[in-house]
Amino acid sequence: VDVLSRNNVQVTGLPSGPTLVLAHGFGCDQGLWRFVAPRFEATHRVVLFDHVGAGGSDLSAYDPSRHGRLEGYAQDVAELLEELDAGPVVFVGHSVSAMIGVLLAADRPELVDRLVLVGPNPRYVDDEGYRGGFTAEEIDELLETMDTNYLGWSRGIAPVIMGVPQRPELGEELTSSFCRTDPGIARRFARTTFLSDNRDDLRRVRTPTLVLQCREDVIAPLTVGTFVHENIAGSELVVLDATGHCPNLSAPEELAAVMGRYLGVV
Amino acid sequence: VTSRPPRNDATSVDLTVTEDGGRAGRAAWDEAPCGLLTAAADGTVLDANRTLLEWTGRRHEDVVGRLRVGDLLSVGGRIYWETHLFPLVRVEGGVAEVAVELKAAAKRIPVLLSAVSTGRTHPAMHLVFAGAGGRARFERELVVARAEADRAASRLRGLQHVTAALSRAVGVQAVASALADAVRAGLGATGVDLRLDDPPQHPGRPDPPPLDPVESEPAFLDDSTVQVPLHGQFQRQGVLTLTFAAGPGADVPDLDLLTAVGQQSGLALDRARLHDQRSGIAYELQRSLLAGDLPQDPRYAVATTYRPAVAALDVGGDWYDVFRSTAAGRPAVSLVVGDVVGHGLHAAVGMGQLRSALRAVSVPDAGPAAVLSALDRFADQVEVTNTATVALAQLDLGDGRVRYACAGHLPPLLLPARGAPHLLWEGRSTPLGVTTDGGRREEGAVQLQPGDALLLYTDGLVERRHRGLDAGLDLLVSTVVRLGDLPPQDAVHALAQTMLLDQDNEDDVCLLLLRWLGDPPGPA
Repeated sequence: VDVLSRNNVQVTGLPSGPTLVLAHGFGCDQGLWRFVAPRFEATHRVVLFDHVGAGGSDLSAYDPSRHGRLEGYAQDVAELLEELDAGPVVFVGHSVSAMIGVLLAADRPELVDRLVLVGPNPRYVDDEGYRGGFTAEEIDELLETMDTNYLGWSRGIAPVIMGVPQRPELGEELTSSFCRTDPGIARRFARTTFLSDNRDDLRRVRTPTLVLQCREDVIAPLTVGTFVHENIAGSELVVLDATGHCPNLSAPEELAAVMGRYLGVV
Repeated sequence: VTSRPPRNDATSVDLTVTEDGGRAGRAAWDEAPCGLLTAAADGTVLDANRTLLEWTGRRHEDVVGRLRVGDLLSVGGRIYWETHLFPLVRVEGGVAEVAVELKAAAKRIPVLLSAVSTGRTHPAMHLVFAGAGGRARFERELVVARAEADRAASRLRGLQHVTAALSRAVGVQAVASALADAVRAGLGATGVDLRLDDPPQHPGRPDPPPLDPVESEPAFLDDSTVQVPLHGQFQRQGVLTLTFAAGPGADVPDLDLLTAVGQQSGLALDRARLHDQRSGIAYELQRSLLAGDLPQDPRYAVATTYRPAVAALDVGGDWYDVFRSTAAGRPAVSLVVGDVVGHGLHAAVGMGQLRSALRAVSVPDAGPAAVLSALDRFADQVEVTNTATVALAQLDLGDGRVRYACAGHLPPLLLPARGAPHLLWEGRSTPLGVTTDGGRREEGAVQLQPGDALLLYTDGLVERRHRGLDAGLDLLVSTVVRLGDLPPQDAVHALAQTMLLDQDNEDDVCLLLLRWLGDPPGPA
């Protein structure tokens, strides 16, 4: 397996600098980091990639049993770090990639120098004595919404169903690859993301960790950010003034500034 | 002065247009038959029209500056906005016609959302929510129908994968391993454990069929595994225990599909068991028929060998025989190699019948052609359904003269003590069971010198799919020359070994080699 093309790995920045891996979350692809990545190119070797199933990744590498668990994605990241021979890296994980980073740091601590978790949520579904922000029914509702909207996805690319003529005009309208994926993969990734429970994994992390939390984020509420911070020994928590789930798009300056301070970039 | 200064006029007109246009614009904004909203770059609401406020049951002052776009949507739409739509608007500049739902006090309103982002210096977003109640219902039905079609197609693919694999397998072992491979590769099982129920109580004899077909049970979940009963027509053949990948993103096993797989597999195992029973019987029958000592005599040395087919799974109908007879009132020995076309029990039974019949019709002083003619009549009477070929040679133990006849069989090979081996092409006629007018059988003759040998064999020795018969016969002759002078026992084994090196014989092989030593025996 060519790991680098499987995950559409892009390396920019200072080749001799420390390696900074920016991992995108559920939804879109490495394009999420387009306003942040350039700010570290002078000081870091910046690695961007797409999770299998997203963006420019190799869809044929998607394995329902491997990628039915976040551990499978963490394994992918470990493989690509080994392939890059990157040494211990700074791993910045947004959204579900924050938990992928937690699993990576817990299971392969030698690969991770520092963790930056942007909007982490170890369990989205409420539990006894824990509020993750959603009920199981609400996650079903998300799956339903996704089923009625195939963003930028043409069925022409999907496995052909016998006897259903394709509509070529669909393919012409859809030019963007950002947020595009196979509906079947998107569905499974949504389940893997929103139905995982990684609360116990937080306590296994020994890597220095920065938890970044937006002031208002329906997907990762403040209480969850605090929970993550309290369960990772020695972690720091910074609450950004930004709102929403994607500070890398809505407040890239603020996000980059906080990350830069943590990484010692002047 | 009759005309007003154009400047004043222009100013007043400008003002009028602005004020009227502003009011008209605001009215159009508020009364538009769709929800309109302007948001800051981070999604905070800057303005919302009256339609949108009425739909969502909110007041202007509770929304503007306080809520974000996602807050107006139902939970599914909210997550979708945060993870897909907001990034798309920011990065790609907009989205069009996305089906989401607005959250109202007691209900949810299906809408189609389009959004664009504008302005580099003061980036903002403009959103339109168009009501889509009927369309949303229609689309939901389409989604459900498509999901059903997808499921049916994937079910069909899975079932086809398994049945195709099962149909290629012969015998219980092969069916079992084909099934295990197919559920792993075609149905994505990560663990496969196949337990077959006890084999039939009477090995070597098919079980009498039970009276009533069994009721088949469906596949069911048992802890972390799926149990798939494999039901044949009259009995359960076994149980398949499958493990599938765990994890929140893993697919739920399709029990209906697995039930169908269990039924197909049960029937395949029915057939495989029956096949194994029959071929077991055929194998035993053939072995018992070929067992037994060859008649020995100081005037000749004889050896035989039988090799089962490599590329086929069933016994064939080849046989050899050596028995004492008489020729022109003098003691003789009859040499027979024959081949009943086909495989399995049927061929083995036919072989047994013909082998016994040939001995029975070898009455004193009947020559090879007469024996084969008598065998034709026997074959007619008992309806040996398979075609058969036979090579029969009678060696006169007094003088070493051989009379031979081939009914559709490959020619015997003469191996002289001195000189080159050659095929005996005399005495040829049609196979048994292929009757011609008059049914005349031809006969040939050859005189053996002490040290000469005669080889009879079946077609499996020389016939291959990829080469002609002539090439096979040439190879036989050159191999015999190369192997040189060996005692018959060693010669038949060396010959079989060498000729079957390609491991490609789809047919079984019989060899019979007799060396004439002379009367009284000459130096061997």
